[in-house]
Amino acid sequence: MTENNTQSRRDVLKTAGGAGMVGIAGLAGCLEGGGGGGGDSEYPSLGNYPIEGDTATIGFNVPQTGPYQEEGADELRAYELAADHLNNGGGWVDMWDDLSGDGVNGYEIDYVTGDTATDADTARESASRMIERDDVIMFGGGSSSATAIAQQGLAQQEKVLYMCCLTHSNDTTGGDCVRYGFREMFNAYMTGQALAPIVKEEFGDGLDFYQLYADYTWGQTVEQSIRDFFEDAGWNEIDSVPTPLGSDDYSTFLQDARDSGADVLFLDHYGLDGSNSVSQAVDQGINEDMEIVVPLYNVPMAAGAGGSIEGVFGTDGWDANLDNEPTQVFAESFEEEYDSTPSSPARLAYSGTLNYAAAVERAGTFYPPEVIRELEGHEWSNGGIGDEIMRECDHQTMRDILVVRGLSESEQDPDSGRYWEVVEQSSYPDAVGYDCENGPAAECELGEYGDE
Amino acid sequence: MSEQTETPTSAESADAAGLFDRWDALRERESFSILGAIAFVVVFPMIFTNLPAYNGYMSLVELIYIWAIFAIGFDLLLGYTGLLSFGHAVFWGGSAYAAGLFSANFYGEPLLMVLVATATAVVLALIIGVLSLRRGGIYFAILTLAFGQMMYFLALGPLGGITGGEDGFTGVSVEPLLGVIGLDQGFAGVLGTVFHDISYVLFAGFFVLAVAVAVRIVRSPYGTIFQAIAENEQRVRFLGLNVWRYKITAFVLSGAFAGVAGGLHTIHAQYVAVGSLFWITSGDIVIITVLGGIGSVFGPVAGTVAFLYIENIVSGEIAFWLLVLGTLFVTVVWLFPAGIWGIVSSARSTVREQLSEDDS
Amino acid sequence: MSVAGSIVGFAIQTLAVSSIYILVAIGLSITLGTLKFVNFAHAAMYLAGVYVGLAVALELQFSGDLAGSIGLESFGLDLGFLAALAIVPIVTFGLGLLMERFVARPFYDRPDTDQILVTFGILLIVQELIRAFVGGRSITFSRPDWAEGAISLGPLGTYASWRLTIIGITAVLVLAVYLYIEYTDVGLAVRAGTEDAEMVNLLGIRATRPFLVIFGVGSGLAGAAGVVGGPVFSVVPEVGVGVLVPAFLVVVVGGVGSIAGSVVGGLLIGAVEVGLQMNAPTWSSVGIYALAAVVLLVRPAGLMGVVEVDE
Repeated sequence: MTENNTQSRRDVLKTAGGAGMVGIAGLAGCLEGGGGGGGDSEYPSLGNYPIEGDTATIGFNVPQTGPYQEEGADELRAYELAADHLNNGGGWVDMWDDLSGDGVNGYEIDYVTGDTATDADTARESASRMIERDDVIMFGGGSSSATAIAQQGLAQQEKVLYMCCLTHSNDTTGGDCVRYGFREMFNAYMTGQALAPIVKEEFGDGLDFYQLYADYTWGQTVEQSIRDFFEDAGWNEIDSVPTPLGSDDYSTFLQDARDSGADVLFLDHYGLDGSNSVSQAVDQGINEDMEIVVPLYNVPMAAGAGGSIEGVFGTDGWDANLDNEPTQVFAESFEEEYDSTPSSPARLAYSGTLNYAAAVERAGTFYPPEVIRELEGHEWSNGGIGDEIMRECDHQTMRDILVVRGLSESEQDPDSGRYWEVVEQSSYPDAVGYDCENGPAAECELGEYGDE
Repeated sequence: MSEQTETPTSAESADAAGLFDRWDALRERESFSILGAIAFVVVFPMIFTNLPAYNGYMSLVELIYIWAIFAIGFDLLLGYTGLLSFGHAVFWGGSAYAAGLFSANFYGEPLLMVLVATATAVVLALIIGVLSLRRGGIYFAILTLAFGQMMYFLALGPLGGITGGEDGFTGVSVEPLLGVIGLDQGFAGVLGTVFHDISYVLFAGFFVLAVAVAVRIVRSPYGTIFQAIAENEQRVRFLGLNVWRYKITAFVLSGAFAGVAGGLHTIHAQYVAVGSLFWITSGDIVIITVLGGIGSVFGPVAGTVAFLYIENIVSGEIAFWLLVLGTLFVTVVWLFPAGIWGIVSSARSTVREQLSEDDS
Repeated sequence: MSVAGSIVGFAIQTLAVSSIYILVAIGLSITLGTLKFVNFAHAAMYLAGVYVGLAVALELQFSGDLAGSIGLESFGLDLGFLAALAIVPIVTFGLGLLMERFVARPFYDRPDTDQILVTFGILLIVQELIRAFVGGRSITFSRPDWAEGAISLGPLGTYASWRLTIIGITAVLVLAVYLYIEYTDVGLAVRAGTEDAEMVNLLGIRATRPFLVIFGVGSGLAGAAGVVGGPVFSVVPEVGVGVLVPAFLVVVVGGVGSIAGSVVGGLLIGAVEVGLQMNAPTWSSVGIYALAAVVLLVRPAGLMGVVEVDE
């Protein structure tokens, strides 16, 4: 509490000192990198620290238009719920010791929203507006690896924290990782780890498989990971074929896959592409000759594909029907507010915001390098998916993954978001996870904290 | 503001006419346009970032200068030579990748990056220009669109290993200007209020330079022939001039402007998105230029300010902002072909006529 | 799989992919050949085909920002696919007449850059209107039950019956329009127009009935393309442009103003696309543009071109 008081006093002083400077001049002061915050500051100013006034603003940058707008809409609902809980209590805020339900570190939480349009440039511009104009202290979002990677690059440049939401590419915490970005979502590498033993046990030893993958970075990392882990498990890849981006007609590729005589077909497509390729495969009767696997599931994909996903294996990060307390608390407060079941991206959005707030509380300041150090190596087990650790070396969360199998049309229940059953919760570190010298982490160099 | 001449009204009194004539003579000078551009980069950020509601912010100001350079160059082609390209994203995106790759593999000095970007755009413009300009009108639009999409799919797929494909190019590394002056170095005191920081001076400087070069071009004999081609290609041909040569010159010049802009954008964003090659980028520059008003140097600037303001600020308030923009665009094409700048100009003439009449 | 099987497989894939391009391209080609009108808004007819088709065959949910504010939720006749295939072309035929009267006609005498700009703007508006009402998310356009599943052709392989259906429908429609243009007065005017566009221009007869009708027929075909393409391509507002660009390539490659040109161009583009998909997938999207560029350089009027639409 004393800390809070000094913080607000410092703020008042800073505001008074800077009263002569208007908008742009304030920015110029910031760029000079000097002690713009006045001698009373515990830390020098950096990025959008220190916060002026007694309200801390967070940016929620999600796709509100474009192919991932449904995921984006669900994320935004969860973000708004998180802001509400942080200010007024409720949900996990009541369960997490670090959080008070009375703002964060004595500051009320406000938020601004933006539309990434699922386009990297637009996402970056929108984040740029939040950082420069709205003075956000942290921003989150992203429903595609390209937008996430573009945004976290900006975060590192501007020294404003970015909590990734839905991004499954290995590169996000691999070759393109940054100090100012954190990811709770798992990646393609971990999907391969989780799927291989279970799918192998289900379908048998020494099978031949065939892959069709979306020809962009995400698809390529999934393809690579699937090959690595299934060949390790003793299966044999017959062929792996990229499907060009922007084509919605997979029949040619599917026909070749069938002709190859393989036993299992991996469709490394996401969202609508996934629902198109699965339904077209079933439409061509391929599921009669081959087993189908879709490495990464999501709700719009399942809803689009309908009964076609029956018996199709895949992975997901969380499920509202899991039997544990945090899951039920989150699902209930979400349902109460929005009258719909939260999807797994929604949980990521909620969890990312709360984890950031908890780190600020633990650090006792919004000063980014201190918050980063609090997040690094943080372990928690009240996020609804077992024990999780935000790793220091690559900012990738090591965590459990759900291996799921699609239900038949009659068993599906769209109203409660039930399209698949959980076959297994593959746990870290027994079934999934990798150390800092291996996998994507080997390519990661995080960059500077900004206070070196 | 500059190159458009206004027909003096007969009703003007001698005094007023004298005053207006002197004003016109002043406005006619090239230096007037350049001074106008300098005044703009000093005053614009102060107004733009301090609007009472829905204010802008500094990096958007810089982005406006960068896109304005692109638009001014596009207008040299569309407004002055009458050629509608639907593939200008090639020059913008291609040069952005060139600047990014150069900075990652060789040296990220900003001026060198812009130079490499511009050279890349010029080479691309020569190749695509020679191929597309064999056909006129509709074919030209479709061919440029096709080449644009071809480059987009090349960057996305086969060249993904170099460009980063869908994830974009993340390896950009920008060094200090001339190797010593950091781009985020600010200025103190009054200088700080006017020039902000080195990167602002860089972007604003290139913008002023672009205006100066464009004004020089349109005032040159070349510029006159460009306009003559737009008005009546047949007649220019009868004069014994090689129309094709002027067209390819206009095309390459316009590509060079896009190249400067693309290189600056890489410095600004420190990232290159594959979407910068997509047809939507080509569509955006068409909308910007037409909205602002073709056939003038300042029209495209007005279009850029309006478009980027709507795209980045108004979009937060109105979800269907693209619908508003599309409607605005069609209205301009249909009813006000002279665009925003044309409306401003004609309003100015009306006011002046009014004044003159009052005087007499 | 047998060699014959591979050939049949390739042919069926090519025909299926080409079908939708051809249906969209015919309208573009005819209006360009006779009226010298460049119509980017032709893609709006495809979009109308998809969304109206969805509302007629099944049900269309309105989840856009504007729909919510006026209390629009959903609309659907649930009449099935064949009803959509019958009704939609009539609707888009009507829309085509309106477009000719209110958009094309005022612009016949303006430069072609203005035509491109205004039709491009109208396409944007239609696309954004759909986004504002229906929403930008993708929708599943279910195939009719009778065309679900696959058909086995014995040793020649197994094929999705929906693709065979598309090929059949396209063949019937294209043949009907071909006969119409070949053997009726309207067709005569069109053929005359294509062969001597300058004359049509000078006589100022562009606004007469045959040309009005032909504008409508082209729009009707694009609408039909939307209905058969809906279950194949994604149903999103941007899909109009996604189909328009290849259709333009078809026109360019095949030659302006003839149905045969559109068919040949469509088959060639389709064959290159499918062939590359089978052998060098990363290059399939690049390949069709390269093909268009090469054809234009070698044969500027297109493969079956009768007129040059240049100056």
